[in-house]
Amino acid sequence: MSIQAKPLHSVGVPMKRKEDPRFIQGKGHYVDDLSFPGMLYLSLVRSTYPHAEIRSIDITEALKVPGVKAVITGKDLEAAGLGWLPTFHGFDKQMVLAIGKVLFQYQEVAAVFAETRAAAVDGAEAVQVDYAPLPVVADPFTSKADKVLLRPDRESKTNRIFHWEVGDKDGAERALASSARRIKQRVWFQRCHPAPLEPCGCVAYFDTMGRLQFHVTSQAPHVYRTALALVTGIAEDKIHVISPDLGGGFGNKVPVYPGYVCAIVGALKIGRPVKWIETRTENLTSTGFARDYHMDVEIGATADGRVTALRVATTADHGAFDAAADPSRYPAGIFGIVTGSYDFPVAYAEVDAFFTNKAPGGIAYRCSFRVTEASYAIERGMDILADELGIDAAELRRKNFIRKDQFPYPSALGFTYDSGDYHKTLDVALERIGYDALLKEQAEKRARGELMGIGLSTFTEVVGAGPSKHFDILGIRMFDSAEIRIHPTGAGIVRTGTKSQGQGHETTWAQIVAEELGLDAGAIMVEEGDTDTAPYGLGTYASRSTPVAGAAITMAARRIREKARKIAAHLLEAGEADVEWTDYRFQVKGVPARSVTMKEVAFAAYTNMAQNEPGLEATYYYDPPNMTYPNGAYVAVVDVDRETGEVKVRRFVAVDDCGTVINPMIVEGQIHGGLTEGFAMAFIQEIQYDAEGNNLSTNFTDYLVPTSLETPHWETAGTVTPSPHHPMGAKGVGESPNVGSPAAFVNAVVDALSPLGVRHIDMPMTRDKVWRAIRDAESTKG
Amino acid sequence: MNLQYSGEEKIPVSPAAVLAFVNDPGKVGHCFPEVVDVTVQDPTHFESIVKVGVGPVRGTLKLKIELLPDPSLRRIDMKIAGGGFGSAVDLTAGADIVDAGDGTTILKWSGQAVARGPIAAVGGRVLDAQAQKLIAQAFANVRQQLSG
Repeated sequence: MSIQAKPLHSVGVPMKRKEDPRFIQGKGHYVDDLSFPGMLYLSLVRSTYPHAEIRSIDITEALKVPGVKAVITGKDLEAAGLGWLPTFHGFDKQMVLAIGKVLFQYQEVAAVFAETRAAAVDGAEAVQVDYAPLPVVADPFTSKADKVLLRPDRESKTNRIFHWEVGDKDGAERALASSARRIKQRVWFQRCHPAPLEPCGCVAYFDTMGRLQFHVTSQAPHVYRTALALVTGIAEDKIHVISPDLGGGFGNKVPVYPGYVCAIVGALKIGRPVKWIETRTENLTSTGFARDYHMDVEIGATADGRVTALRVATTADHGAFDAAADPSRYPAGIFGIVTGSYDFPVAYAEVDAFFTNKAPGGIAYRCSFRVTEASYAIERGMDILADELGIDAAELRRKNFIRKDQFPYPSALGFTYDSGDYHKTLDVALERIGYDALLKEQAEKRARGELMGIGLSTFTEVVGAGPSKHFDILGIRMFDSAEIRIHPTGAGIVRTGTKSQGQGHETTWAQIVAEELGLDAGAIMVEEGDTDTAPYGLGTYASRSTPVAGAAITMAARRIREKARKIAAHLLEAGEADVEWTDYRFQVKGVPARSVTMKEVAFAAYTNMAQNEPGLEATYYYDPPNMTYPNGAYVAVVDVDRETGEVKVRRFVAVDDCGTVINPMIVEGQIHGGLTEGFAMAFIQEIQYDAEGNNLSTNFTDYLVPTSLETPHWETAGTVTPSPHHPMGAKGVGESPNVGSPAAFVNAVVDALSPLGVRHIDMPMTRDKVWRAIRDAESTKG
Repeated sequence: MNLQYSGEEKIPVSPAAVLAFVNDPGKVGHCFPEVVDVTVQDPTHFESIVKVGVGPVRGTLKLKIELLPDPSLRRIDMKIAGGGFGSAVDLTAGADIVDAGDGTTILKWSGQAVARGPIAAVGGRVLDAQAQKLIAQAFANVRQQLSG
């Protein structure tokens, strides 16, 4: 019998990512790497018009293009009962291929199947579509007037998709009216796009048993299987979804896109495998975008800066279809987190969403169902309030934070925050950045006319959907799952219903098993993305993997441990009640010398199990009792060139509290990536449309992704307040930096320009926009 | 994206010669810059395939052109509609044929274009200037052909 030390690479250890050797050697296996005998290629004809009647589609010339095998249109799909797709929350439907009219530029109009990718593109080019242009509605405020009805197919003859509200409307009005001080500001979180480096795509074929084999870029393979069964009528057991390595997702690979349905239809119709890989332009112009929320933020406060009420009224641009993949009970996602980290006695939020002639979507880009918008709104609002009151922005926050002793904290908008220590997190951030010295420096620079800004963001997120009683996709309740098998030698395999797109699940899931079972994480294989082998789960997005699947793995491991205890008792010739799990091994209580390792127990489970059931495995479906509430305090320091509008991010300190940290190196990597995306949104990214509905951001020369040259140096730190209801105390972190950082950047730039009288700048804060703000302010001042 | 252009060319031939030239699809069709092919359908209709390169967006546009002559007013109008590489262009162009009084003619031209798709996406940077250049080149080609 041996003594077991702490297992290699268990929780809290910065284990190098197990998946990285294959990625950095170019050995990742992506959908576009697949090739099957006889495989055809699909290219989609897309609308050049944002809004137009389709008079006719002539496919004659396309069918003459060498290599083209077939062309299908919306009418073909409609005849087959496949003309429309349900959107994920179930309250709208989306055309697969345009039927009767097009509703946004780059909408899918026809599908061309050919022997080569080039022939498919040539064939698509040869399809002649005769359009009759219709009036274009390019913004939600025009849409609101209902002068042009965009969706006559819907029962409700209005462009308004929904009105959603939460909180105490009358109470908020009364409190605002009676507040000594009050601010109001419209802030717009612009339309942006996740832009994963690998665009979306699939390969579909029917095997010799007539079973659909569907390789696809999916963050939620099981949901795809169910959705495809519902849409196509193919029995779910006849659908096998495989999501291989993904080159990023950020929410962009959650929805089911028309190209997927067309590939399946083509494979069925022609009887050959069909591959569809979208181009960069197709990805940017037609797949799930993010944000486009116009938010009117009002905060009331006492004269000394105690908040009294919050009211936020939002006008949302959802594009041509309501394809925001929100849970059915939450059409505006969990925007109710808009009270943020602050103890508002009363609050009210409402969202009105509208159709426009733009691409559908709305909740992607590393955002847990509209949390990014909510966080941006409240963090801008608090800074504007601080400016209004003449109170230091950090001091105003401290004064209004939810105190540590208030947790679990019931918010005015219905959430129960699990844990946090906001004062401590802010203190750590301010100490790291050297806040007092920066304030002194800023005062000196302002005296010299130089523009230096300090921006804070002290955000609270809400992640980890379910609980199943609140959250669903297409009616499927949100939980997640894990299956663990420990082999005779102590190696093992973990399968979950999640799907990594770069999050490092192959490492962190193995570390959880190592922690719970005392095994070497290096010997624990992780497999995801195959619906034939993985237990049913809802996938990876909205920072839900660790809070939900991570908990499922923990609980499954503990189930294994309970079975292992019986075998250990047999090996130790002791009663089960006398055997305890301590220091990563089983030992007889009070007799440390009499112990066995899990590895020894695993071998016995297959060779010497006595009366116990052979094998060592368990499955767990975890339905979280609550969401988790990661939070953080971010500080940005910027210098603005008065003559050019150039903003230099001099320093950025990010202090995150995501509860128990499984792998600090991976968490730090997640934060670096998210901060870079937040930086991109703050300064350079916008999916722009002109007044005629033309998408002006169709490639990476127009929609910019920061490289290492533009990206600031990130300084990170952390505090830990474990989630009381997660079995490991973990909270999830992937989205926190994306959620928290945009406000820090904007607050810093506005702070820099505040001596000129600038009160707000909408993102992206491009050089010309900042320059114009400076010039306008200076000319106003005279 | 809506675009507007105008300019003029002095052509060393009579207005009648200019009018005859611009009313001939077989001749005027070849004045488009980077023209690949011209197919005349009837005296007022022809199709033209032209190469277009605007910034990173490059490809061929297949254009349907309708000539709308008005000899009494010494004016020619044309409607151009077409597309390619996922883009669409609708253009109306016209030219007044003005007698300069010295045996030469001044062609005063103007046009309005609506571009959609990738070709419009680059409009903010280079489309406007590039389109102006191409249209000016087309009328310059008219002058060159008639001057030769």
